[in-house]
Order: sequence, then C-alpha cells, then structure tokens
Amino acid sequence: MHFVVCAKQIPDPETPPAAFRIDEQSNEVVPAQGIAPVLSQFDGMAAEAALRVKETAGDDTKITVISMGKESAQAAIKQVLAMGADEGLLLEDDAFEGGDSYTTATVLSAAIEKLGDVDAVFCGRQAADWDMGQVGLGISELMNWPGSIIASDVQVADGKMSVKRVLADGFETVEVPMPAVVTVSNELGEPRYPKLQQIMQAARKTVNTMTAADLGLDASSVGAAGARLKLERLFIPEVGGDCDMIEGESPEEQAQALVAALREAKVL
Amino acid sequence: MAALVDGAPEPQESSPIPGQGKPARVRFVGAWWAPALALSGVGLVGAAEAQRSNAGREIFFNIEQGWAVYALMAALVGLLAYGIVRHATLWMIGKPTPGLLGEVPLRFRNALRLGIGQEKVRRDPYAGIMHTCIFFSIVVLTIVTAQVAIDDDLGLHFLQGDYYLFFSFYGDLFGLIGLVGVGMALYRRYFDDLHRIRWDERVEDHLIIGGLGLLLLSGFLVEAFRINVTELEQHPEWAKWSFVAWGLAEALNVIDLTEGQTLTGHVWMWWGHIVLAFAWLGLIVFTRLDHIFFAPVNAFLLRTDSPGRLATIENIEEQEVFGVGQIQDFTWKQLFELDACVRCGRCSEVCPANVAGQPLSPMHLIQDLKAHLASVGPDIQRAGHEEGDVRAVSPLAMTGEVIGDETLWACRTCGACMQECPVMIEHVPTIVDMRRYLVMDEARIPASAQQALENIEMRGHPWRGTTLERTTWMEGLGDVPLFDGSQEYLYWVGCSGSLVERNLPVTQSVFRLLREAGASFGVLGQEETCNGDPARRMGNEYLFQILAQQLVETFKAKQVQRVITNCPHCFNTFKNEYPQFDGHFEVLHHTEFLVQALDEGKLTPRFALDESMTYHDSCYLGRMNGQYEAPRQIIEVIDGAEFTEMKRTRSKGLCCGAGGGNMWQEEVGERRVNHVRTEEAVGTGADQVVSNCPFCIQMFEDGIPSIQPEEEGRIAAFDIAELLERAVLGPDGAGSDGARPAGAGAEAGTGASSTGQ
Repeated sequence: MHFVVCAKQIPDPETPPAAFRIDEQSNEVVPAQGIAPVLSQFDGMAAEAALRVKETAGDDTKITVISMGKESAQAAIKQVLAMGADEGLLLEDDAFEGGDSYTTATVLSAAIEKLGDVDAVFCGRQAADWDMGQVGLGISELMNWPGSIIASDVQVADGKMSVKRVLADGFETVEVPMPAVVTVSNELGEPRYPKLQQIMQAARKTVNTMTAADLGLDASSVGAAGARLKLERLFIPEVGGDCDMIEGESPEEQAQALVAALREAKVL
Repeated sequence: MAALVDGAPEPQESSPIPGQGKPARVRFVGAWWAPALALSGVGLVGAAEAQRSNAGREIFFNIEQGWAVYALMAALVGLLAYGIVRHATLWMIGKPTPGLLGEVPLRFRNALRLGIGQEKVRRDPYAGIMHTCIFFSIVVLTIVTAQVAIDDDLGLHFLQGDYYLFFSFYGDLFGLIGLVGVGMALYRRYFDDLHRIRWDERVEDHLIIGGLGLLLLSGFLVEAFRINVTELEQHPEWAKWSFVAWGLAEALNVIDLTEGQTLTGHVWMWWGHIVLAFAWLGLIVFTRLDHIFFAPVNAFLLRTDSPGRLATIENIEEQEVFGVGQIQDFTWKQLFELDACVRCGRCSEVCPANVAGQPLSPMHLIQDLKAHLASVGPDIQRAGHEEGDVRAVSPLAMTGEVIGDETLWACRTCGACMQECPVMIEHVPTIVDMRRYLVMDEARIPASAQQALENIEMRGHPWRGTTLERTTWMEGLGDVPLFDGSQEYLYWVGCSGSLVERNLPVTQSVFRLLREAGASFGVLGQEETCNGDPARRMGNEYLFQILAQQLVETFKAKQVQRVITNCPHCFNTFKNEYPQFDGHFEVLHHTEFLVQALDEGKLTPRFALDESMTYHDSCYLGRMNGQYEAPRQIIEVIDGAEFTEMKRTRSKGLCCGAGGGNMWQEEVGERRVNHVRTEEAVGTGADQVVSNCPFCIQMFEDGIPSIQPEEEGRIAAFDIAELLERAVLGPDGAGSDGARPAGAGAEAGTGASSTGQ
C-alpha cells in the first residue's frame, strides 16, 4: 500500500502574544523574529495515524509525506520522515503563493495524481494557523475519493478503511472503500517521538521537489491567481475589559447591587 | 577533587571547593582509635617494664597434623583466585572505560582515604564506629596470625619475651574491639527498628556477622584452653597479658575439668576456630564480603572530575546503540561497581524518589542489575567469545524489564545516592545511560517529558505554553545592556529566569544587584537558548550535544569569558560539561558573585530584615559543585535575619523533586518529593525558605499550599538574590524600578531600618 501524509509548516502557535504581529497593509502575518515555524500539530497526528496503520499492515507499505510551501518546509517534511515516513516531496513554486484552501487542495491532488498508486491520504483535521479545515475534503472532492473527517482512529483491512470519527456528542465509525482521504484529530493521541537512528536517517534522505510545471498545473489555476477566497482584512481584535467593584455591607446587599447593575446594563 | 568525597581531612588542599570541611562530629567518630593506640602504648611500656625475657609459647601446642592449615590456606587462595576470574570474565563483557589512566596519584589517594580509610562509612556515625572496630580488629588479628606463621615457618622465634607479652596484649585488645563491633552490628540487625540494612536481607548477612562473632569468640576460647593448661599456674604473670583469654581461662577452672579434658577441649576448639576462619574467609568469594577488595578498588576507579558531569557519547552519529539497553552496553567499570554494592541501603535512604515512596530505590536498582549480570553475563560472554549475536542472548530487555521505565524516570540526578555510597558506586551516570537508551534508541518517554524535549527542539526552551518572551523581565528596568564582548560578565538569565512568571522577580533582583554592585555585564536577550541541561539529563544526548556545540560557538563569537548564571543547572552545565565541547569559561552562580561583591564592599546590606528563614541547598550548587557556604554567608551578613538549618542540609540536603527532568513529569508514587521537602522546611518554623534555583522555588511554591492549606502564616519561598536585594536596596527597592514579587516588599517593610537613601 502507499499512503500520503499532507504536512503543512505554520508559524509557531506558541508564539508569545506580544511577539505576534500583523502587517495590516499587506494583510499578512509578520514572521516573529527568532521563532522558527513548526509542523502543524494535527499533521503530526495524521502522520501518527498513517504510521500506526503501516505497523499493522506490514513493511511493504510506503508513506510519502507531501508539503506545499517554501524551502523551509523541508524541516516539516524531515520531521515526519524521522517519525518513520519513507519519502518526502516538497511542492515549491512562487506561483503557489497567496493561494487558498481550494488551490492548496488542487496542488496536493495533482501531486497525489502524479504519484499514481496512492491508496490513502492522511491530513490533519485543519492547519493550526488558519483553522480552515477545507483541504482534506478538497482533495477528496478533486480526487473523487471518499473522505472522512475528524478521525480519532483509523484502521485499514481488505481494501477498506474504517474511521472512528469524533462527533459533538460521541463517536461514529464509518467504513469506506479505498483509495480514500481521512483527516485526523487530536483525539488520536500524541505523535510519536522519533528514535535518534530515524532522525539521522531522515537527515540523510533527499526530499524531491516539484513545481507547478512538474505537476502539469497552469500558473493561473494555483496560488493567488486561482484562489476563490479573497482576504479582505487581517487584524488583531482589541480585547478590552472594565472591572466595576460592587459595593455592599452584606452579601445580600452586594447581590442586590449586582442584580441592579446587571439590569442597568441590560444583561438581565 | 570531586565534591562527592567531601569530608576530606585536608579540604583546603584536596578540594578547590569551599565548604568541603569535615564536620566536627565525623572527626570525633574517626578518633576512636586514639584510646586504642594509647592502650597499646601502655601495654608496650608495661611489657618493657616487666622484664620477663623468657616468656613465650609453643606454636602448634597440642596440635597434630598442623600442616592441614596450609592445605586450607591453599584451598582458600585457590577459591579467591576462582572468584576473581569468575567476576572478571563478567566485567569484561562491558565496554572500555575511558579516562581511567588519568590522575593516578589522586586515584591512589581516593583508594586510601575512601577505600581503606572508609571515609564515607563514617557519614553514619554508628556504622562508622561499628565498621572501624571490625575493620581494625580483622586487620590486626590478621597481622597477629601472620606473625605466628612467620615465627614458626621461618624459624625466627621472635614471639618471646617482652614482645610476646605485648603481642598477647594487643591480640586480645583487638579481638575485644572486634567483638564490640560485632555486638553493635548484631544489635542493629536484630534489635533495632527495621533498619535500612534489612531492606534487602539475605542468609549470607546472618552468616557473615554470626560467623565473625563465633570466629572471635572461638579464638578467645582456644587461647583460654591453652592458657588454662600452660600458663595459669606456671606463669600467671604472663597469662594476665592476654587479659580476655586469661579471664576465660580462670572461668574454665570453675567447671573443674581434668587436664586431659581441657587438652581435648583445646584441640576441638582449635580446629573449630581454624575451619571457621577459613570458611568465613571463603565467604568473600560468594557474598558481599567481597567488598573487602572491591571497595578500595572502586575508590581507585572513582571519577576524578565533577559528579555534575555526565559522560559524552563520542561520535554519536556513528553509534549503533546510543544508550545502555543491555548489560554489555555498560562500561566494565559500571559492571564492576555492581559487585561492590554491599546492600547497606544508604543510597535508598537518601534518595528523594524513595523517600517519597516513588518507584526508585538505587540499592535495588544496583542489585537488580547485578543479578541480571550474573544470570545472563556468562552466556553473553560465551556468545561474544564465539562471535555469536550477543544482543540475542538475554531473554529480558534489561532497560525496560529488569529496570522499569518508571524507575529510571523517577531519578532526580540529585547525586544523594553517590554522595552516601560507602563503596563509591556512581548511580546517576548508570541511570542516565539507560535513559539515553529509552529516549534515543526506543523513543519511549513519558508524555510530559516528551513535550519538554520537543519544546527544546522546536523552541529552544522547555517551557511549553509560556506566554512570556525572553525580554519580558526587562520591562521597567531601564537600560538593560546587551552583551557585546566589551563587558566583563555575561549575565545568563536562562529559560526559567525569563519564561516562568515566578522566576522573573529573581532575574530582576539579580539584575538590580549587579547594577548596584557596578558590575560590567550584559545579557543575550532574544539570543539566549536552552543550554541543553534538561535534554542531557532526560537522556537526549544528541539534542544536548547540538545545543552545547551551538552555544559554545555563540559564546566564542561574542568573546564571552565570564558567565554569571541564575540557575544552578545552567551553572553546572557551563562549568562542568561545556569543557567537553571546548567551551572553557569562568562560571559563577549569582550566589557566588553576590558573596564576592559583599566581600569587596560593592554591595552593602543597609536594611535590617527581621525575618526568620531556612535555607534549601539546591543539588546542583550544593552536592554537585560543593558550594554550601556562599548562600549562608549572604544570610549571615543580613541584619536581623534569624537562620535555622533544616535537618537534611548541605551535602545531605534533600532534592526539591524537580531535578533530572522531573520538573516536567507527572510524579508516580505515594507522595510528591516537593511535599516532603516543603514539610521539612515548614518544620523549622521559619517564615521563609530561601534557595538559589528557579526549579526549587517553583517546587516550594507548588508544595506550600498543600502542606499549609491555611493561607495565614504560610512559609514563603524566595531566592537568595531576592532576599539580599531587600537588604541592600530596601523593602521597596529604594531607588530602583520595576516589578517586585507580590507581597514580598510589603511584609519586609516593617523591620527595615532605613539608614540610607
């Protein structure tokens, strides 16, 4: 079997609030100084899900990790390779810049198509920067494969994928024919810590790079040119708060004063 | 000199580390031999006075087939040789031990002082007296017996006259001293409350102590029977020199034996004594009595560098196995150590994890490894010899099954076990070696520890989820100079000092004191990154090496020569471990800098603090680096400070619980270590517990509400720098700026006598 794990490199979600800045002119996040980008944590869980299936399925299962991004995204690919993935593929092209979920799904689908023999695609439930959660289903749509989202467990047997999905009030397990797409949620568990031997092997592996042309994609269909979503304004909302102390001799008086104040503010 | 061997008789020569002086009590315990020597002297003078030049005795009196003794002797020598070979073949399955050929003179001194001199045995005064009695008794009685052999075999016949009488006297004296030691041992083994020596009690323990007691008693009886027949009537003035046996000989007269019966009794007793003696010596091969040889040798093998330094894995990228997963992955010295263990339980008695009922007892860990070596070692040795697959031999995974993961993770690397071990076993490197296997070879790590390690990899600090920046602490402090190579000191704030809310005031206090003292210093600000200490102690040596190499390069590029650290862990790593990466810097913990500044008059405590306090020694400033005095000197110069020591203090101090990566782990076990230590601090009745380590302070702050649920009258945890700042700059940082620890200033205000500003 051949699995694909889609991995995205994102600005560190743990960037201290004081260091997080936005350029409101260009509607872009200003990369925080000295804070390296990281692998979106849900994508780490997608890799973990694929590796768990590989462990039960046997060694002839190959995992390819694909990332669309800049040269720096190699680090995210290497991280998944260190966890145990077999090959890495970086989709890098200036034309990919400024895209949306749709163009991302377009590029990733083209790469999956190019690989040819893919049986399953594992994505994170959403990228931890924009939290859109569209790309996984986008690939499913473009490939015309069944897609299951927000999985807490994935099993593969007899050419079928069994996915335990997280619902608002519980779980449901669905079975879909393969090839299929699944997006993985944090309920699956923490991604594994790589063994040093694997880290060193991953460091020695070369990551192939493909451009829009390699994928047979027209520059007008990807990146900003192909995007269907337009970002109007990017800003950090101002969060303010006032604190009024409620006076009163006894708890009863304080409660009465509080109720009066809430009524006045039209909260009650 | 390693801080492990404190209590040195000549601390000023043997140790560059202050505070290594020998406690008076230990000196007293060690002085027991003075009266014994004096008594011997009295005996010598007395013998000279007596002028009985014809005194003497017939060797092998009343004994036929005395040659059998030599046969037994030959058998014993053969047995000992067998024992050595049997052990040595097992040790040799280990890897080479680097660095053993360095510092040989120091190694010999360690063998003499720690091995033969048994310095560490005396850290427990009762055991010190007991063991010294037994030790000297055996040594002297061996010399006594050897003299008998030399006298007879070489035909020298010097055992006569005055010397014979003196010989009889000190033979009895040391026999008696031996019995005192045995008596103390018997009391502790059978009548004391369940003592640590019974945590792993075995049949051999009864054989050793019972056998020695019987051996000494039978020796006296042999003498008594002989004296009864040959001296009591004929030479009563000779007999009295063997004062113990003389008393027993007199007692024999009470039961009214015929001379024939007495002679028969003598023969039986003589052979009984001889057989017992050889049997007892034979126990050396099969029991922990082998420490007679192994302890001094292990003292010779003891590391000569700081106990705070862990070994580097050289050429780490070329290794097949990174840590210790199987018994043969240890060095042969580590395997040798296992055999030196005497199961005294001292390590486990002081181990913070064990004290808190957590799944680690260093003694049992060493014993489990020893048993595992004995069980799989011979097969591994054979497989290695026949070029078989040694890694396939053991049916059990040593790291993980023989020694459980939770045992390895419970270690605080605090070094208390190594400090106490009377046979100089180094537990911590052994434990970390196995952690290295768990982390780098197996990638099996407790989730919370894994997060800390991943955070170091991804973000350069272990504090996942912090919302602070490395420059947050600078807010409101005015101009904070960045280090550019022109200043004398680099003030290294550290991850905790900049990214953990509670530690920011400490960083600010140190900063203000540095500024007050007029020090020339700068900080790295955003350029600081983890120096790798938590990674190394959690077993990720690879990550540590990357961080260390990078930081050494940064320091060199910035021409750093002197570093002041906030954190004893950073201090230890820079001082003891960075030289492994060619990073040689002069490193001071802020405590040391502050003491210097006080000495030189650059800081003056002008405000009295009428507060009571106790001091908690952090493991990495204290035990690992021997710095016990500087913090106490600071407290001493503060007016009005009322100081109480905790029961476990200085080199016997108990870890706060955070060391060895446990800051980031969930604790497993009956209690939490910081609760135990907080209880001890609260027990002093002091208002404040003062420390010098960001982890200790956090652990106390976490523990205090559990031990003292009532907010009223709670003990407060402070860093020594916060304390000194109140004394130097006043309760509200007179003339200084910026944030202060909430509540600290207000409380301290009442006692301040404002003499300046």
